Amino acid sequence: MKIGRSTKLAVAGVVAAAGLVTAGVMKSDEASAHHAFSAEFDANAPVLLRGEVTRAEWVNPHTWIHLANVEEDGTTTAWMVEGGTPNTLLRAGLNRKTIKPGTEIIVRGYQSKDRLCAPACKANGRDITFADGNKIFMGSSGTGAPDDGSDPRAKRK
Amino acid sequence: MRSAMKFMIGASFAALALAGPAAAEIGEKWDPNYEPPRMADGTPSMQGIWTSASLTVLERGDQFNALVVPEAVAVAVETGAMAMKNSDNKPTDPDAPAPEAGGAGVGGYNTFWMDYGTKVARINGEVRTSWLVEPENGKLPWSEDGKNLLANLRKSFGENMDDPEIRSSGERCTVGFGSTGGPPMLNVLYNNNYQIVQESDTVAIVVEMNHNTRLVRMNDEHRPANMAGWLGDSVGKWEGDTLVVHSTNFHPGNAYRGAIRHRIYLTDDAEVVERFTRVSAEEIFYEFAVTDPEIYDQTWKGEMTLIAAEGPIYEYACHEGNYSLPGILGGARKEEADAAAAAAAVDTVTSDSSTTKRTVTRTYVNK
Repeated sequence: MKIGRSTKLAVAGVVAAAGLVTAGVMKSDEASAHHAFSAEFDANAPVLLRGEVTRAEWVNPHTWIHLANVEEDGTTTAWMVEGGTPNTLLRAGLNRKTIKPGTEIIVRGYQSKDRLCAPACKANGRDITFADGNKIFMGSSGTGAPDDGSDPRAKRK
Repeated sequence: MRSAMKFMIGASFAALALAGPAAAEIGEKWDPNYEPPRMADGTPSMQGIWTSASLTVLERGDQFNALVVPEAVAVAVETGAMAMKNSDNKPTDPDAPAPEAGGAGVGGYNTFWMDYGTKVARINGEVRTSWLVEPENGKLPWSEDGKNLLANLRKSFGENMDDPEIRSSGERCTVGFGSTGGPPMLNVLYNNNYQIVQESDTVAIVVEMNHNTRLVRMNDEHRPANMAGWLGDSVGKWEGDTLVVHSTNFHPGNAYRGAIRHRIYLTDDAEVVERFTRVSAEEIFYEFAVTDPEIYDQTWKGEMTLIAAEGPIYEYACHEGNYSLPGILGGARKEEADAAAAAAAVDTVTSDSSTTKRTVTRTYVNK
């Protein structure tokens, strides 16, 4: 099958996008956010948490979502889960009231290296979803809402 | 009724007349006759809130062989970036297990936390694959010493958690990670927002992350070299309608500026020249040149556009909730304590066989 120039270009572009974006955005690194994830959290201590939100700390540099993780014996343990900067979500019209106490969430992440559990055990929130698996917030324009017009460069007609 | 209609039609025509010719869209070729808004002293106004969010980054990716590429490539890149976002948006199987241990590291978050833009940069109508325009290859011209320094620093950040002052400025909440604070002001994963407030004798640039304000003293001399600021020392002047800012005397604590999207290093006496020029109602043409002969084999130059942002700039009170730095230091102490305990156990085994038996038995019982 012959591949037309435009198709080749498009394919090259998508490959380029993957390179551009994955190299520039997604890769874990020593400075992938305000701090080094790998220094604070333990890659050998993955956690799966499930429970109700108890409160949200909507503070910079990172939000912390607190939940009561339900253990196998039915008791609960307090966990706090690190998320990204609240400024991004504020621009998308979201705030700490968006994650209401009592909402059941699932968190997949890694426990902190210090293993401190006072006042709560800590983990990073690599994947935070509702109980049905749906993402709590969607990112597509970069600010949390699909094509919300918040990216000025996206205004090009 | 008819008179009301006439009034409305007349008002519409008047509005059209006031609006004049349609303003150029962001990224389109600039109008050479563009007349910027001006301050009371006649200088072009740079005032406002601006963003540098973009899919374009400082250095050119290996997949590109030119600074300027066809529009179709930009569209494909943007489509790919959106596909990645959409993929991340997909629900997770609620019964999926915890992530794997080890592997590629602990990673970041769902991408909804990110705000790096959705568009490849168009500068004066050209699709750009990097901010760097010099060297022509779009790569930082590291000297051998610079390369070695960078490699050692990255190793150090990965291993040395002995002291808070050893850690990066981003972790310490002194300056935002990477070179978001500048100069040069480079885009990172989020909070790529700046507010410029202009007076005749001072131009203030507020950096959203970490809410640092750089004060550019107009028509002034640099302070003594020992008065280093976290964002260096900046003095400015007007060259026609272009604001030219010269900076040096950088704080050694902000020499290494590491982020996923760029890594640069500036010694105390590096020199950065920035040029700000209004080119349209919603764009500032932002040029920068960095000279630091100890670290780079040549001056490197970049071109970027700062785009008018909507909404306010937000506070970024980094110290307020910075659990990360104590977490990093505490994690390191825990690892050291564990290693010391393990070493002590080995010593005990080696020196006293009767203790060994008890230890083994106790361990077995505990399991």
